[in-house]
Amino acid sequence: MATTKQHSDSAAATIVISGRFDAHQVPQVQQEIDNLQASGARFIILDLKDVNFVDSSALAVMVRGMKRCRERNGELLLCGLRQPVRIIFELTRMDKAFRIFDSEESAQSAVIAGL
Amino acid sequence: MHVAIVTTYPPGKGSLNEYAYHFVRALRQKSEVGQVTLLVDELPDGVPYPSASSELEEAPLHIVPCWRFDDVRNAWRIGQVVRQYQPDVVLFNLQFATFGAGKVPASLGLLAPKLVNLAGFPTMVLLHNIMETVDLRKAGFASQPIMEKVIRIAGNLVTRAILSVDKVAVTIPKYVEILTAKYHTDKVLLAPHGTFEEHFPEPTFELPPGPRQIMAFGKFGTYKKVEILLDALRILEQGGRSDLEVVIAGTDSPNAPGYLQSVQAQYADLPNVRFTGYVAEEEVPRIFGEAAVAVFPYTSTTGSSGVLHQAGSYARAAVLPRIGDFAEVITEEGYDGEFFTPDDAPSLAQAIANILDNDDRRRELGMRNYMAACGLPISDVVDWYVLHFDSIIAAHRRRSAPDDQAGTAGSQPRAARV
Repeated sequence: MATTKQHSDSAAATIVISGRFDAHQVPQVQQEIDNLQASGARFIILDLKDVNFVDSSALAVMVRGMKRCRERNGELLLCGLRQPVRIIFELTRMDKAFRIFDSEESAQSAVIAGL
Repeated sequence: MHVAIVTTYPPGKGSLNEYAYHFVRALRQKSEVGQVTLLVDELPDGVPYPSASSELEEAPLHIVPCWRFDDVRNAWRIGQVVRQYQPDVVLFNLQFATFGAGKVPASLGLLAPKLVNLAGFPTMVLLHNIMETVDLRKAGFASQPIMEKVIRIAGNLVTRAILSVDKVAVTIPKYVEILTAKYHTDKVLLAPHGTFEEHFPEPTFELPPGPRQIMAFGKFGTYKKVEILLDALRILEQGGRSDLEVVIAGTDSPNAPGYLQSVQAQYADLPNVRFTGYVAEEEVPRIFGEAAVAVFPYTSTTGSSGVLHQAGSYARAAVLPRIGDFAEVITEEGYDGEFFTPDDAPSLAQAIANILDNDDRRRELGMRNYMAACGLPISDVVDWYVLHFDSIIAAHRRRSAPDDQAGTAGSQPRAARV
C-alpha cells in the first residue's frame, strides 16, 4: 500500500509504502510519483520503513523517479530501509546511487538544507 | 556520454547478439547518451554491417568491426580501436566463449577489458555466465578431467582479470554471491537480464491449425542438445499422440559447427521434425506464438536464460531441465515450468506430456511466465547501467584530477537533433 503526504513546501512530498513493494504495487507507486511530479514536486521522499521486500520492478520505479526528479533539479530520497531491502540495494550497488536516510525526518532536513 | 560496447551484434550470429541488439536499441533512447560505438566481430567474407538508421531522438550509432572469433589478437585490436575512438566508458557484453571456441583465443580475448581499463578508460563488463557454475564437460568445453582442471585454473585467472575493471554486472543473484566470496571483490553487482519487448502483446493461448509444435530455440551443439528432444518425440508418438511436430528453431553454436546437420542425418527417419535455420528478428514472434510448448534441452546451464525470457513474453509454457541451481534461479525470477531430468528422454517426454495433455496447465504456466517476462523491460535495466556508467566515469575523473573540481559525471543531456 502507498499513501502520499504533501509537505508544507509544495515542492516536496513523502510517499509512505508498506508491505511488499513488488510488481503488484508498482503501478500505484508509479502513479503517485507521476501525480506529484505533475503537480510540481521536485523532491520526493520514499519512506520504506514498513517495506519488507523489494523486487527489480520496484527498483526500476525508484530509478525512473530519481531520474525525473533530477531532470527537474530535484531528488528522490529513500529512508527507513530495513535489512532485507538494504540487501537488495547492496546486491545491485544501488545503495551508492540513491540518497538514503535513516528516517523521514533526516531526509526532510536534507531537503530543507538544500541537500 | 559516448558509450562504446564490445559485443557481437546482428547480422553477426555470435552468442549474445540479440541481447546486444535490444540493449543498444534502449541505450540510444537515453537522453544521457550522445553517441554509441559498437566494437563488433568481423562478418564472414568481409561483408559490411548495414548502416544504422537514426531516429530524431536516438543517439547516433557507429559500428566498427574490429575483432574476429578465434583470433588471438582480439584483445590488442580492441584496445587499439578504443584508443582511436576515445569513448567516455566501455562496456563489454560477454560470455566465456565470446571470443573463440579455441581455449587460447577465448582466454586471451577475455583479457581485453583489463587492457582497456589499464589504458585509462572507465570499463564495465556484463558477464552472462561464470565458470564456477558451468559443468565444463557437459557444456562441451573439456573432455578429460585434466583438461577440465587446466581450464578451471585458466578460468580463475581470466575471471580475476575481468574483476579488475571498474564494475562487473551479472544477471543472477547467486553469481554475485559466488564471485564476491571467492574473489573477495566488491565490484560485482546484480543487473537483471531484462525483457526485450517494451509493450507486450496481450497473451494468447490459441494454437494454429495443424500439428502441435514442440519448439526449441537457440544456438545448438554445446550445452543445448536436441537428440534428447527427438528421442522424447518418439516416446510421445508411441504413446498415441500423432499430431505433434518438433521445431528446432536456430542454428549451430559457433563452437559446434555442423551439429544440426549431423542431427538431421541421424534422425532422418522422423518425418515430423522441422529445422528452421537462423530465425530473423521479425520471425521470432511467429516461432514462439505458434508453439504449444517451449522446450529447453540443456545439458548444462551457463547463465540466466534469455530464451526463457522470450518464451515468457509470448506466454509460452516451458519444459526445463532440473540442473544445478537453474530451477532455483528461474523460480527466483518468477518463471515456472515442467521439469525433466537431463539426459533422460522418458523424463522429458513426460514433462512435455504434462503440458500437452492438460490445456489448463499449459495456460497456467504460460500466464505465469508472461507475468515474469513483463517484469522489467530492458529499457529500465539500461537506466541502471547509465547510473553505473556515471559513477565510474566520475570515479575516474576524481582519480585523474583529484585537486580539480570533478564536477558532474559524464552524462550530459543530448541536444535535440533537427
